[in-house]
Amino acid sequence: MEDISSMSANKKEIITTFSKYRDTLDVHYDQRERIIKCTRDITALSKKIVFALLRITQDSPEKVFKDAETKHAQVLELFRKLSKELQGSDACRYNRQATAGIQEYIEAIGLWHFLQHNNLITMDQVLERLSIDGQPLVTVTNEDYLLGISDLPGEVNRYCINAIGKGDHDAVKRSLEFLRLLKEGISLVLCSCHIKELGKKLPVLNSSLEKIEKTYYSMAIRENELHSIGIMNVDNSEQANII
Amino acid sequence: MDLQVFIDLQDKFDKESELFENVKAAIKELDRSCRLASAKLSKAHSLPMHKLKEVTDAIKPQFATIQQNIGKLAELITPVTFYKYQNMWTQKLQDACALVVFAVYLEEARLATPADIKKHLGYSVNTTNEPITEFVFTLDEYLLGVISLFNELGRLAVNSVIVNDVQRPQEISTFVSELYSGFQLLNLKNDVLRRRFDSIKYDIKRIEEVQYDLRVRGLIS
Repeated sequence: MEDISSMSANKKEIITTFSKYRDTLDVHYDQRERIIKCTRDITALSKKIVFALLRITQDSPEKVFKDAETKHAQVLELFRKLSKELQGSDACRYNRQATAGIQEYIEAIGLWHFLQHNNLITMDQVLERLSIDGQPLVTVTNEDYLLGISDLPGEVNRYCINAIGKGDHDAVKRSLEFLRLLKEGISLVLCSCHIKELGKKLPVLNSSLEKIEKTYYSMAIRENELHSIGIMNVDNSEQANII
Repeated sequence: MDLQVFIDLQDKFDKESELFENVKAAIKELDRSCRLASAKLSKAHSLPMHKLKEVTDAIKPQFATIQQNIGKLAELITPVTFYKYQNMWTQKLQDACALVVFAVYLEEARLATPADIKKHLGYSVNTTNEPITEFVFTLDEYLLGVISLFNELGRLAVNSVIVNDVQRPQEISTFVSELYSGFQLLNLKNDVLRRRFDSIKYDIKRIEEVQYDLRVRGLIS
């Protein structure tokens, strides 16, 4: 590089100002990189929560929820780290990088809420869980929330299949109601919003719903059949074998 | 379980749609004034240097219109949601920056600074990473506006020869290589800025070819 003293005034000026721009851009790129990394960790941990929760058909609910609670504390720690990067206008500036993690987290606690309360988690409940001392750690946009809960069908479907294996008919019924609500709800919102990704999630939802409806259908048929031949006093595990 | 959650969401999205439409309308106005300014500024390509003042004087009122149109857009946007919608208007603001950058070059043969942008268009360029508190040009928008100058000057080098000015390509070449050394300082990532930066070399090549043609024919020393 040529010596700065031999440069023309014009060039000197350009080198000075562009060095400043470089510093600004570097800080921005570094911040973006940190957010991407943190988001990746949040996503991975949220997935672990989901897997822990899905074990509910194997383990006792107390154990499963306790396990999930431990992981949840770790996720909150990550969100606390993330929140430092997302102050003020930065929340929207880096939303594109952070949204995947936030969505995955909503999916995890959404599944949790469904298993525990048999209901759809609301935005306020999401914010409550994401809070420390009553203050939400990060901004959750309506888009984040909607995309998060629209990922629930896949997990609910998994839970439902596991539950059938255990002969838990009530779980199938609850899952079915839940997915129907999601389908109707998301179709309702779809006409008003500009979220491109949401349209892609609807087919997945529909196929999950179809699977559960089919399963429920064959369960109903067998039950009727069993009723008609009067052997309804078999216990659940045997029923499961029949299905 | 009921649909209330979704009905509330729908309400919120509907309200946002209104804002969307207003922002779009404001951007359309801005686009119109930028295009008009661009057409007026393009006359510079067909004029010899001593007549450029006509062009740069005529463009000033057009900048005022652009400023007004940016103002109408800015009114709709709060600092907190600024970045949420920024991709809707970023192209137009790049265009507006490019216009000022070209006009300042024509007038004073130097690079327009963020201060020039503020002076002509009324809004600051955010050259820091501080969270913003008002409507701004982003650093990217400014830099992308500056990158368009390479293209414009590539054209101007050719057109200078057409209007019989064989000295100007020389000046352009010096200016462009100095400016390029500025861009080479940046550690760019794989994004728009990087892609546009990569295209600069073609514009520089164009300018060098003009110089080569002139020199090989002994038209410049």
